[in-house]
Amino acid sequence: MDGIIEAISSFASQEPAIYYLIIGIIGAVVLSAVVNIGAMYVIWLEVKLLGDFSARYGPNRVGGRWGLLQIVADAIKLFTKEDSIPASADKPVYVWAPIVASMATMLVAAAIPFGALYFNGKYYPLVVANMDISAFYVEAALSLLVIAAFMAGYSSNNKYSLLGAFRGIARMISYEVPMGVCVISVAIMAHSLNLAEIAQNQTLWYAFAQPLGFGIFIVALITDLGRIPFDQSEAEEEIICGYTTEYGGIRWGLILFQEYNNMLLGSILLTLLFLGGWAGPIIPVPGLSIISPLIWMFMKVVIVLWFLIWTRSALLRLRIDQVTDLGWKVLLPLSIVNLAWAVVVGSYFA
Amino acid sequence: MTTASDVLSAVQSAFPGAVLESRVESDRRLWATIDSNSIVDVCKHLSEKLNFDHYSGAAGVDWIARKEMEVVEIMASHGAHQVVAMLKSKTPRENPSVKSLANLFWNANWYEREIWEMFGINFEGHPGLYPLLLGDELVGVWPWRKDFKGYPDLTTGQRAVERPTSEGYTEYFIPPTPAEIEAGTVPKEKPKYPSFREREEKEIKSDSEMIMHMGPQHAMLPGPFLLDILIEGERVHKAFLDMGYIHKGIEKIMENRTWLQGLTYTDRMCYVASLSNNECYCGAIEKILGLEVPLRAQYIRVILEELSRIQSHLIGTGEFMTLIAGVGYAPWNFMIIDRESIISLIESVTGARLTHTFVRFGGVRNDLPEGFSDKCRSALKYIESRTKEYIELFEQDPIYHMRMENVGVLSPDRAKRVGISGPPLRATGVAYDMRKEDPILVYPDLDFKVVTGTRGDSADRIDVRLREILESIHIIEQCLDRIPAGPIKTETKVPKKIPAGEAYYRVEDPRGEMGMYVISDGGDKPYRVKVRGPVYATLQTLPPLLEGVYIADAVAIAGSMDGCPSEADR
Repeated sequence: MDGIIEAISSFASQEPAIYYLIIGIIGAVVLSAVVNIGAMYVIWLEVKLLGDFSARYGPNRVGGRWGLLQIVADAIKLFTKEDSIPASADKPVYVWAPIVASMATMLVAAAIPFGALYFNGKYYPLVVANMDISAFYVEAALSLLVIAAFMAGYSSNNKYSLLGAFRGIARMISYEVPMGVCVISVAIMAHSLNLAEIAQNQTLWYAFAQPLGFGIFIVALITDLGRIPFDQSEAEEEIICGYTTEYGGIRWGLILFQEYNNMLLGSILLTLLFLGGWAGPIIPVPGLSIISPLIWMFMKVVIVLWFLIWTRSALLRLRIDQVTDLGWKVLLPLSIVNLAWAVVVGSYFA
Repeated sequence: MTTASDVLSAVQSAFPGAVLESRVESDRRLWATIDSNSIVDVCKHLSEKLNFDHYSGAAGVDWIARKEMEVVEIMASHGAHQVVAMLKSKTPRENPSVKSLANLFWNANWYEREIWEMFGINFEGHPGLYPLLLGDELVGVWPWRKDFKGYPDLTTGQRAVERPTSEGYTEYFIPPTPAEIEAGTVPKEKPKYPSFREREEKEIKSDSEMIMHMGPQHAMLPGPFLLDILIEGERVHKAFLDMGYIHKGIEKIMENRTWLQGLTYTDRMCYVASLSNNECYCGAIEKILGLEVPLRAQYIRVILEELSRIQSHLIGTGEFMTLIAGVGYAPWNFMIIDRESIISLIESVTGARLTHTFVRFGGVRNDLPEGFSDKCRSALKYIESRTKEYIELFEQDPIYHMRMENVGVLSPDRAKRVGISGPPLRATGVAYDMRKEDPILVYPDLDFKVVTGTRGDSADRIDVRLREILESIHIIEQCLDRIPAGPIKTETKVPKKIPAGEAYYRVEDPRGEMGMYVISDGGDKPYRVKVRGPVYATLQTLPPLLEGVYIADAVAIAGSMDGCPSEADR
């Protein structure tokens, strides 16, 4: 305890603490604004693309031809709805579950570089907390989501919610492990656990250097996001809405936004780990050259998002026992094979 | 081939004196009144010795003038011969009681429960006479008896009062008025039976089991019925089904409408298959009248019924796919779009999208419009290529195989025993199709195959439906080639009052065997209309099929049956 106090006081003597506080608050506000607005347009992209895939229009009224403001209208509707809590719910847990979920998402977002700026011949990653172990930290923070899902499912006092929560836990546990092993394989090749460094160290995209790991990571990512074919915890046709059954209004809105935040962050993570991050030729136009890494990053993330949405309209849902089977019996052994491959090939590259 | 008279003489020689009256209507219809003491033995003899392995249903009739009630058992065979035996057993109107066939035929259970709750006919030896379609408050009223006056007070909705239940919830109660009590809407003595809830809670064996509702409001269901599953973790141990949430009493309503007015009610039984319901009702009346339908009208009917089968299978398959893939699944919307082209074809002939009321006694309402043949052919060509695409899509999808294969397997023997019909039966490999077994209209002249499956699982049921679409397209193309010019209605005027008589008419509904038993007493209204719907039989099969599967499989099984509760409840 004394050591911590000492450390803080010595730290504060070098730079004013208020400076860090202000920077921290500005960072948090900017971060949540960027992530949430991003999530809104991920939702917009999903409804629009799903419409296209199934030969429908999708939103086309609010906000012009492309329905760009539809999601704003939806958000206003959600946030002004009546707030109701079931009489038999475990109230504090019920209320905190969406907040915990959002917190977990923000914890992840803090350590993820959203892109980089290029000037003076150097890349400057855009990240709030540039820590050395960010890849490991992101994995750890992502697993907090399962606690939020269980809180929501358990506190609702509803059979569908409970089943949904159980399914969510079973699914997430069996896919966190192969996903973690894939991240380790990437870190071994990149000789770093820092996401920005991993992105920059990719002379050959890791999607090509370790295709097996890339495939496993995509499957595990879709599972973590709870999207078809792995959306058992919210399988509408079986258990109504899973752990979110009893939620409505702003609380449900928080859970929804958190899901799409995660989708956005997951796509960025995939891009950073396997698709070379913001790597790409610098556009030799003054002004544009600064943001050209951002442009490349944006294009790659949109392609990943497009792929994630495409799976939803093309695939069927697996049964929960098939999901855990796939996770433990197929993906985990394969991810360990991939780890061995990364060690061998990584040492060759080094 | 065994004919009806062969069956009659066989029964007469085996049970001398048991057949009180008999009428051989044709080679395929036998009407007989059996001594009520020997009805069980006769049915047993029929099923064991004479290949009557398909118990098709039962109807109750209240003959108030003769002071007696009748139970009509409908027996047929799964392809061994084409005779349908209508066996009547009589019982006095005071304390009516007949012997139950539920121990002989598994699927007699529901038909007898329905007759008991509607007519108050007791079935001796029935394993559990509980109400099926009626709410608990109406049991004991026996509403389908001829002396039931109905509700004279029309202010029912304004009188509802709240009252707390013993479990702490609030329920709405409608206190009866004196006029209603006088009309007999309040049962004088209430039959004693355990409620649905008590029956299912009795099955809970351990603390780790719980009952989960899938219905009456659930994303899985195509309409309201209550499917309760007793689960332990993800396993379903037992399933319970309760119906009657949209019971409309159509059979009783039709007794109070003229013959032609009754036709509109057949549309509303199941609006996805309203043309075959029309056909069934009109066909039965044409049989009583002995009307000959002109050839052109017969072709028009066949064309439209097959078109309606295509659109029903498309929506049935599409809807089912959303159950195992979520509503974002793109092919679901493609199927709806494809179906739209068929619907607009039908609309161009009948003027209505869903409730057509198009078939008439002795013909059809109007002729095909100008240029129908070309439009139909091009639409069918498009549907054919799309259907082949769907078949290929499902064949290549590994997740589809993982989810659907060996799920909800029905063996041919079991499928026959439980009385299921239509695509679920044909998926097991039994080629039982009314268009071949009990051919009507011009079906005997047309060349088509009965599509069958091999495994009898959910994947086969979908596959049979999709391949039946191709077969229907083939039928329609033949009809378009051959359709002659001529009148579309009979020359003879159809009388307002149909002469006394009875008929049983069967058609192949998109969902299976649909039969209507129509009795006329010579008036301008039917005396009794009994609808033997395919979905009723399908839903009865559902609970035993769900035992021991996963929750997700329960959805895959229930959905693949393509049940329409609106038609089952009538």
